[in-house]
Amino acid sequence: MSMNRIILIMLLLFVLEGALVPWLIPAGFGHRIIPHFVFVFVIFASIYTGRHRGLLLGAGFGLLQDIVYYGHLLGPHAFIMASLGYFAGMMFEKRRATILMALSIVGMACILYDSALFFIYRIFRITNDTYAWAVLDYILPSLFLQLAFALACYVPARRMFERLVHKGADNDEE
Amino acid sequence: MIELFKLVRNKLVIMLMIGFVLFIAVIGYSLSDRKGLTMPESFIKDSITFVQQWIYKPAGYIAGLFEDIRNLQEIYEENEQLRMTAAAYTRDKIEYNFTKKENERLEQALKFTERQKQMYNYNYLIAQVISVSNDANNRSMNINLGSLNGIKKNMAVTTVDGLIGLVSSVTPLTATVTPITELNETSPTFNSIAATIMGRENESFGILSSYNSEIDRVIMTKIAENDQMVVGDTVITSGLGNIYPRGLVIGTVESKQVGDFGLTYVATVKLAASFDHLTEVFVVQQPDSEEPQQ
Repeated sequence: MSMNRIILIMLLLFVLEGALVPWLIPAGFGHRIIPHFVFVFVIFASIYTGRHRGLLLGAGFGLLQDIVYYGHLLGPHAFIMASLGYFAGMMFEKRRATILMALSIVGMACILYDSALFFIYRIFRITNDTYAWAVLDYILPSLFLQLAFALACYVPARRMFERLVHKGADNDEE
Repeated sequence: MIELFKLVRNKLVIMLMIGFVLFIAVIGYSLSDRKGLTMPESFIKDSITFVQQWIYKPAGYIAGLFEDIRNLQEIYEENEQLRMTAAAYTRDKIEYNFTKKENERLEQALKFTERQKQMYNYNYLIAQVISVSNDANNRSMNINLGSLNGIKKNMAVTTVDGLIGLVSSVTPLTATVTPITELNETSPTFNSIAATIMGRENESFGILSSYNSEIDRVIMTKIAENDQMVVGDTVITSGLGNIYPRGLVIGTVESKQVGDFGLTYVATVKLAASFDHLTEVFVVQQPDSEEPQQ
């Protein structure tokens, strides 16, 4: 599994996240349950292949998100995804992550991601909602979707990333 | 000073600081002066949305199929209603034709210029939604018409139910629609919309200034004290200001109370259009933006 393949898979995930997932969410919940599947993958990549890769993938896909969905600001997704990817990787530099630890990190990262995004929009006065309302309205409901996705793709994602690391190690030995 | 050098030697802190400065610079730039998308940006956006449009539409068809089966029972009732509307329509059509003739004659008599005559002759371009953003505070949608099809910034976008938003950016093949739920007085990126009431277009007036996401309603402000607006009225765009087209349905008035200073009234408006599972939308093209002045 080379890095190109992983980027290709994540690109596919990015495309599906915008085009297919809105149809799977029941009508009336479109603004409450919001997928961040690419971000979950960035966190996985960072936990299993190192913080620098997490940083680069986060910055790249965050920027893609900022460009494709033209919004109020340019850059918040790139910044938050990159920095959270970096810190998630830093926590697991010395030890191996079990499934429970990986999932709790993904959950915490998702809450931080949505919260940081909320506060950036709040600072620039793009939203006037209160944080307590935002937590109940969309941050917690979306968290369940992210955790379910993380659980579903934990095994293939971990195998994919660990194979990448082993391959890199083999190349170093040669 | 030595402590500062020690701090700077830490790679993490340097990285973080550079990243933070870069981030603030980019956001500041995009907030102040962002006329449109640059070349590489539109290229990336066009290529991603090109792939997305193969997925969104088939997924919609499959989802629609299941919904159709579920709605089979309601069809009979709906048919009855439609027949009644059709009967009312034929009556109104006759009256409309007379009024239109009369209007044309009067325009001729008053020597309207060609531009004034064509002012309200809107063109509805049908577009497909390609993808929906996954950002709770920016639920923008991409549609499959772009500047090559004559789409321009700030054009209004509607569904058969009502207004859903405005075009916020255009690339050659696609356009991004900012939904009306982003409407916000204090936000520097979205304008307010002038509105009136269907049936009393010359008497009622209000400004749709912001969207309250906690109650899912649009707030309409600056309603005059003697305004006849009542709960249940249909709110439409007034077209005053000539930026947004007139006569687009927005929603219904749900409540009306005295505003902050007691001089004007404030109403909450329930949006007519739903934002989930959108497929076809109409971009309203104004003749003015097509050919500036003759």
